[in-house]
Amino acid sequence: MREILRVNMSTLTISKEPLPEKWARYGGRALTSAIVFTEVPADADPMGPDNKLVIAPGLLGGTSAPNGGRLSIGAKSPLTGGLKESNSGGTAAHALGKMDIAAIIVEGVPADKTVAYALRLFPDGKVDLVPRHDLKGLGTYETVAVAKGIEASEHRYSEKVSFIVNGPAGEMGMKAAGIAITDPHGYPNRFAGRGGLGAVMGTKGIKLIAIFEEGLKGKEHADKDAFIAAVRKFSGALTTHAVTSQALPTFGTNVLANIINEAGGYPTRNFSSGQFEGVDGISGETMREITVERGGNVKHGCHAGCVIQCSRYYVDEDGHYITKGPEYESAWSLGADCGINDMDTVAALDRKCGDIGIDTIEAGVMIGVYMASGKIAFGDGAAAMAVLDEIGHGTDLGKVFGDGAEATGLHFGVKNIPVVKHQGLPAYDPRPIQGIGVTYATSTQGADHTAGYTITSNVLAVGGTVDPLKPEGQAALSQGLQIATAMLDSLGFCIFVAFAVLDMPEAFEAIHEMAAAHTGDEWDADALMQLGKETLTYERLFNEHAGFTNADDRLPKFFLEEPLAPHDVVFTVTDEELDSVHSFVPEVAAQLGIK
Amino acid sequence: MKVDVVLFAHFSGFQPDGKGGRHARTFDLDEGTTIADVIAMLGLPDEPRVIFVNSRHAPEERVLVEGDRLAIFPPVAGG
Ligand code: SF4
Repeated sequence: MREILRVNMSTLTISKEPLPEKWARYGGRALTSAIVFTEVPADADPMGPDNKLVIAPGLLGGTSAPNGGRLSIGAKSPLTGGLKESNSGGTAAHALGKMDIAAIIVEGVPADKTVAYALRLFPDGKVDLVPRHDLKGLGTYETVAVAKGIEASEHRYSEKVSFIVNGPAGEMGMKAAGIAITDPHGYPNRFAGRGGLGAVMGTKGIKLIAIFEEGLKGKEHADKDAFIAAVRKFSGALTTHAVTSQALPTFGTNVLANIINEAGGYPTRNFSSGQFEGVDGISGETMREITVERGGNVKHGCHAGCVIQCSRYYVDEDGHYITKGPEYESAWSLGADCGINDMDTVAALDRKCGDIGIDTIEAGVMIGVYMASGKIAFGDGAAAMAVLDEIGHGTDLGKVFGDGAEATGLHFGVKNIPVVKHQGLPAYDPRPIQGIGVTYATSTQGADHTAGYTITSNVLAVGGTVDPLKPEGQAALSQGLQIATAMLDSLGFCIFVAFAVLDMPEAFEAIHEMAAAHTGDEWDADALMQLGKETLTYERLFNEHAGFTNADDRLPKFFLEEPLAPHDVVFTVTDEELDSVHSFVPEVAAQLGIK
Repeated sequence: MKVDVVLFAHFSGFQPDGKGGRHARTFDLDEGTTIADVIAMLGLPDEPRVIFVNSRHAPEERVLVEGDRLAIFPPVAGG
């Protein structure tokens, strides 16, 4: 029986309660969004006592479902002002799942703002809150090192403990702050990065959540044999599809750099060009060549049970760990968007972001905007590092930078600020790749590529093809993917399974077969899509209550007015088409009995 | 006619000079050469591909013209 663990930071009390029956089919994003919708007033101050930080493994968390150990963290976002679900890898989700914890809800704020607490969950079900003032203000790596009593730089396997860690940026309440989650080696290099959830964690006074998982067993299934059969079917698909079996494990997500650049959609120097002449220096191929030469690890999963294994470590010339091999988004934001073409520089910036606990996408977009102001030059890696140092030191200017791209752009009077719902745009320009523009504009999350990854059909020829340069078909493509993604996020799947799922019907079947065999409930294709729709409905309605209207579902004007080289196109999907994306919401809201 | 050919990910090892890398090589081709002809000439493995000519998707039967840039990728994805 799954339970909710409620931690009240005003009273410093901890309680457990059964997961309400109405949410029995929810996990991950469906659950974090339903809880935030239900328990957080839409007009709450995101940094105040009424906001709640909700942490949930997917419905299949704690099982052996391949790539099924992703974690959802939800709250009202200090960055967007809307309902946020930020998704991360790392080992915490499976550990929580095995403990039968459906969600941790952290509510209230401590009376004493100077405190730092560690929330500890033990395998026997005991949970406590202990003051850990020694950790206050420490970087994420040092926090974990101190907490574990080991040297952070040392390569060694973790002693069966997962950490969820807040960095100094979050402790200082910065709106671009993310929350770090440790990987199988104990490095805090997986991030629930987007939307400023680190700032929410900071208000709660929790520096660290430690989940001790020694001896925990995998979850029981309603029908074990059927579950195992579905797992085999699913992992068979993932290990067969060319993308999930070859490109991703070999080169990591950054294999995208060259193809997005070739397509003319690789945002360069604050979205002023669609191609970057220095792309090869920061591409996945180059990253692999450097790492192999230096003897670094070039293939592992971010959690046990990942069969795709897109993760890797970036190491220095002596082979010492620096950071997770920067993901495509991070290599782009800290690279091309800032005009930086050197992998070592990008990796150093990535490590710095990780250590101070700031979202790499928001950080890179922010630095690109700052560079566009002319205060520092595009391509200046040292100046970019100095910006991150300002954030880490919490200077007045650092607090502006730490609030993200929009805050920085407004402060320095920059004309083109690439944000939607106050959140920085990721690594695809919406002019030559129009489908992703629909997702950026309409997602409940603000500009977020993962929310409806149309790059599949727009560029990669996965799941069919839709011409990226034309407006036709983009709204429908984005809508379908936004629903499917919300479903995958709710079950706990890594969204990269979608590449196989979109092309292979048996992979999609295996998902509802796993859900049915694990829970004993009825699951089919329609039920999966319904789960996605319900999730989006909670998010959409919360945002409406918080004051968002269709006018917020728009791209910044410059994407509609300033053509982008090399294709010399602007974004041409109409407002009516954008407004059609959430057409299902009223009906689903009625079914759920919510307004 | 001259056409620039760029190959990415594990296809880059199929450049005729055997040197790999993602930089363009200029090919001297007969008029009427199609993308499929170039693929056969390179000996690329028989697997799905994503092909661009001058930054736009192009089918394999497309006839190349002087000055084209042909880029060929194996199936890739990320995000
Ligand atoms: S494919 Fe990559 S992101 Fe997805 S679960 Fe595996 S390592 Fe994590």
